Amino acid sequence: MNDKKIRKRIEKIAKKISKDIMVRVENRVVYLEGRTNSWEDYLKLGILAGKIKDVKGVVNNIDYPGKKKMIRKQGGKEKVGEADVVIIGAGVVGCAIARELSKYEINVIIIEKAEDVACGVTKANNAMVHTGIGEKMGTLKQRLCVEGHKMYERLCEELNVPYEKCGMWIVLTKDSLKFKIPSFLANFIAKRIIPFIILRRGKKLGIPMKVVKRKELLKEEPNVTKDALVAVYSPTYGITSPYLLTIALAENAIENGAKIMLNTEVVDVMVKDSRIKGVVTTKGIIEAKYVINAAGLYADEIAEMAGAREYTIHPKKGATLIFDKEYGNYINHSMSLLRLPRTEHYKGGGVMLTVDGNIQWGPTISEVEDKEDTSVTADEIEEIFSMFSPLLPHFPRAVIAYFSGVRAATFTEDFFIEASEKVKGFIHVAGIQSPGLTAAPAIAKMVVNILEKEIPLEKKTNFNPYRKKPVVFRELSIEEKKKMIEKNPAYGKIVCRCEHVTEGEIIDAIHGKIPALNIDAIKRRTRAGMGRCHGSFCLPKVAKILSREAGIPLEKVLKDGEGSRLFIGKAKCLLEEK
Amino acid sequence: MFAGGKMKAGIVVIGGGPAGLAASLKASEYTDVMLLERDELGGILQQCIHDGFGNFIFGKMLTGPEYAEHFIERARDAGIDIRVGTTVLQVEGKKIVASGSDGILEIETKAIVLAMGCRERSRCQILIPGTRPAGIYTAGTAQRLINVEGVMPGRKVVILGSGDVGLMMARRLTLEGAEVEGVYEIMPKPGGLIRNVVQCLHDYNIPLHLCHTVVDIKGKKRLEGVVVAKVNEAMKPIKGTERFIPCDCLILAVGLIPENELSRQIGVAIDSRTQGPIVDERMETSVEGVFACGNVVHVHDLVDDVTIAGEIAGENAGKYAIGEFERIRKGKVIAGENVRYVVPQILRGMEDVTSYLRVEKEMENVKLIVSGKKTFEKKYRIVRPAEMVKVKVNADILTSNEVRIDVKS
Repeated sequence: MNDKKIRKRIEKIAKKISKDIMVRVENRVVYLEGRTNSWEDYLKLGILAGKIKDVKGVVNNIDYPGKKKMIRKQGGKEKVGEADVVIIGAGVVGCAIARELSKYEINVIIIEKAEDVACGVTKANNAMVHTGIGEKMGTLKQRLCVEGHKMYERLCEELNVPYEKCGMWIVLTKDSLKFKIPSFLANFIAKRIIPFIILRRGKKLGIPMKVVKRKELLKEEPNVTKDALVAVYSPTYGITSPYLLTIALAENAIENGAKIMLNTEVVDVMVKDSRIKGVVTTKGIIEAKYVINAAGLYADEIAEMAGAREYTIHPKKGATLIFDKEYGNYINHSMSLLRLPRTEHYKGGGVMLTVDGNIQWGPTISEVEDKEDTSVTADEIEEIFSMFSPLLPHFPRAVIAYFSGVRAATFTEDFFIEASEKVKGFIHVAGIQSPGLTAAPAIAKMVVNILEKEIPLEKKTNFNPYRKKPVVFRELSIEEKKKMIEKNPAYGKIVCRCEHVTEGEIIDAIHGKIPALNIDAIKRRTRAGMGRCHGSFCLPKVAKILSREAGIPLEKVLKDGEGSRLFIGKAKCLLEEK
Repeated sequence: MFAGGKMKAGIVVIGGGPAGLAASLKASEYTDVMLLERDELGGILQQCIHDGFGNFIFGKMLTGPEYAEHFIERARDAGIDIRVGTTVLQVEGKKIVASGSDGILEIETKAIVLAMGCRERSRCQILIPGTRPAGIYTAGTAQRLINVEGVMPGRKVVILGSGDVGLMMARRLTLEGAEVEGVYEIMPKPGGLIRNVVQCLHDYNIPLHLCHTVVDIKGKKRLEGVVVAKVNEAMKPIKGTERFIPCDCLILAVGLIPENELSRQIGVAIDSRTQGPIVDERMETSVEGVFACGNVVHVHDLVDDVTIAGEIAGENAGKYAIGEFERIRKGKVIAGENVRYVVPQILRGMEDVTSYLRVEKEMENVKLIVSGKKTFEKKYRIVRPAEMVKVKVNADILTSNEVRIDVKS
C-alpha cells in the first residue's frame, strides 16, 4: 500500500472512534494528531494503525484528558565529553552495542540516567533465551532472535555469564483449543496438526524440535498435568541472567575502551543542518557524530528531541512470580501451555527455570499508560496462578517475590532498527520488546553494519573478548572456598544467609568496574536479599557494608537510585526535630 | 583466634540464640560442645531492648540483652567452643561444613542440636500487591535498624499485623518520634498477647483496626502510601472499603516461620502445621541423634519456654553423645478439636511431660481434654490462638499408641 491508501484506511477507522483525528502518512510512517476522550481510544487508534499492512511506524500524538506531557530537565551548558558514538541507554541492547563497537577503533560513550546499568526494561526481563519459534514469521524480531540465539553460548562463555540450555516444552492439553468445535476434532488438531505445524516451522528456521507423546512427557515431567495430550520439545531453549549479562557487556566494553556515564540523563539531541552534533545531558554537553537511540521506553522521546520521530512507544506491563528455591527441581525443563487462539491476556509466557534455581511463572501482558508502572496488581497475581496452574496443578504456592517489567513496544510491534533518513547520524534501535534479550547480540551486529556504511570501522588489534568472572562463593568447592578465605577472610563471612552471599562478594560489587552503589545494584550482582527472607536479615548488614566501603553515611544509603533513601535519618532524628 | 579445618566435637549446636545457648550449657555437662552462630550470641534478644523477658525463669523482668547475657557468661565459663560469625553451609549425616572468617570448618559430631530460630514472613509471601519502593520493612528488621544500627526507617508509619513484634514496634516507633497511623490486623482478634495490646497501643493511643489488611502499595522510589481495606469472613478485601493512607513506611508483622532449610537437608521430618521438626518429649527429631529446640520447632510466645526446650534438647543430646540414650519413637499426639498443633508430636509415655499447643480460635470457658490410657481435663476461662497453652501431662495418662488433645466448651 502507498501512503495515500494507508491514510484513507486509517481515516476510515479513526472516524468511528473520534471526529477530531488528523492522519498524515509520510514514507509509510503514520502520524496521528487530534484528540480523543480517553487513553483507551488513543491506544485503540495506535494499535489499529500499527496493524495496517506496510505501515512502518506509528507516531501517536493524539491528546486525551489527563495525558502526561513530557517534561525536559535542565541540561548542563559545559562540554563534558566528546565521542564518535554516543549510545543512549545502558540496557542490554545499549551495552551489547557498546561492547560490539569496542571491537573497533572508535570512541564510544554510553549515557544512562539511572545509577546502574540494566535498570529499565532489562532488569525485569524473564531471562529466557528464545529460539524464535514463537515469533511472527518474516519479522525483524524473529530474524534477530534466531540469529541472537545462535550467538549466546559463545557470548556468555566469553563474558562468564550464566547460560543454560534448559530446554522447553510446549504442552498441549485438551483445553489448548478454545474454538467451538467438537472435542474429537479438537483432540485431533491438538495432537496431530499443531505439533506438525510447529515442527515444520522449526525446520524452516533451523530450530531443532521434537514431538513427544503424553506418556513420555509424563515420565520426564511427572508433575505436569495429566490432561496433557502431547508436547513439542525444544532442546535449545536457554536461560541467562539479563542483568548479569548487561553488567558483563558494559564491563567488557569499558575494559576495551568504551566510557560510561551513569546518573546522566539526555535532555536534548543537538542537530545542525540535519546532522547529529551531540547530546545535551543533565551533566553537560557531549559532542558526537553519531547517536544510537537505545533508550528503551523513552526511545520515542529521544527521537522527538532529534526531530526524527517515527514511532511512539506504548508501554506494556508484564508481571512475574518467583517461587522458593526449595521447589526448583519440581520440573526439569521450562514449559509453556499452548492456547489458541491467543487472546489479549494470554500471549505466551510460561513456567520458567532460572539460572538461580528458582522457578518463575509469567509474565502477564497488559497495556499501561505510565511507562514506569512496575506495580503488580492483585488481578495480575491471580491471573498468573490461573494461567499456569492448569499446567502444574499441585505446584506449591511458595511465592518469595514478584515484579513487573514494562515492555517498550511500538505500535507496529516489531523492532525498529535503522539509520534515520531525516537526521544523519541518528540511529534508531527502538521497539525492543521480547525477544529483545535474545536478539541483543544480533541487534548489536546489525547496528555495527549500519554504522559501517557511514564511517570506516577499523578493528582493534588488542580487543579482549573475555571478562573475568566475579567470585561466587556458593558455587565454589570446599577446597576452593578454603583458599578464597585464606586469601581474604571477608569471603568467609556469610552476609545473606538465604543465598550464601559473603561480605567479600559484596565488597567486590561495590568496588567493581561499574560500582554498585545502592542496595539493588548489589543485589543484582550478588543475589544478597534475593532469597526467601528477601532481605529481612541481610539488608541492615549490606547497608552497613555499603556505607563503610563507599563512604556514604548509613542513613543516606539508597535502595535504588535517587529518591529511594532507605532511612529517613539517624535514630532520634525525629525527636530532635520536635 | 580459632583456625579452620577438620575437627571433631561431641555435640554441635547450630544457633546461638536463647535455645542454642541453653542447649549448649546443658549439653556441656555431658561432653564437649561446639556452638555455631552466624551472627552474635543471644540471637534476636540482642535487639529486644524492652523488658519482659525472664519472668518465669528468673522471677523478674529483664531486657533481651540482659536475659541473653546471663546465658552467654555461663557458656563462656563452661568452656564451650563458641564460634560466632560462622554459618553452617551444609550438613550431611553428622558431618557439618561451616564458613567463617577463620575459614571453612569441617566438623564430625555425634549429635546435633538444631536451634536456628525463625524468620519473618515477607510482603511477597502474603501477596500484597503494589510497587516495590524503599520504606517497607518487616518488624524485626525495623527493630534492628532502630535499636542496633541507629537509623530511623520512617516518619509516618502503618503497621500490618498485630503480633507481638508488630505491637512492640508500634510503641518503639512512637517513642522515637514517628507517627504510627495505626495497626491493621486481618483477623478479628489481635495477634499478640493482651498485655502488649494494652501496653503498646492503648497506652499510646494508637488505633488497632481489626479485619483490615493492606491491599495496595504506592510509590516508585520511596513509599508514598498504602491502601487498606476491610476484609470479609473469608479474609478477602471488601470492595468499596478501600482507604488510602499517605505514609513513608510500612512495617510488616505478619508471622514468623521456623528456619528449617538445614533440617530439611538432614532429612528431618517437618510438621506441616508448625513448619518445624516433629519432635518427641526429649526433643529428638525423626533423624537419630538430631535434636531441635526453640523457634525452629515452633514459634514461642516467651523466651523462658525456649530456654526450657533448649535445656531438654541439650540434656538429651548430651546423653546421646555419651551413649546413655535409648531411641524410642512411639506414641503419636493427635491435635483434636480446636487444636492447631501440639508439640511434642510424639510422646513415649515414659515420664511426665509439658505439652505446648495452640488453639484454632478464641473460646471462653473451655475444657482441655487429654485422652490416652486415662483421661485428663483442665478448665480454661479463655483460650486464644495468640497465647500458647501449656499443659502438664502425667506419664500414667499416656499410652504407647496415641494421645488426643481437644479443646471444647
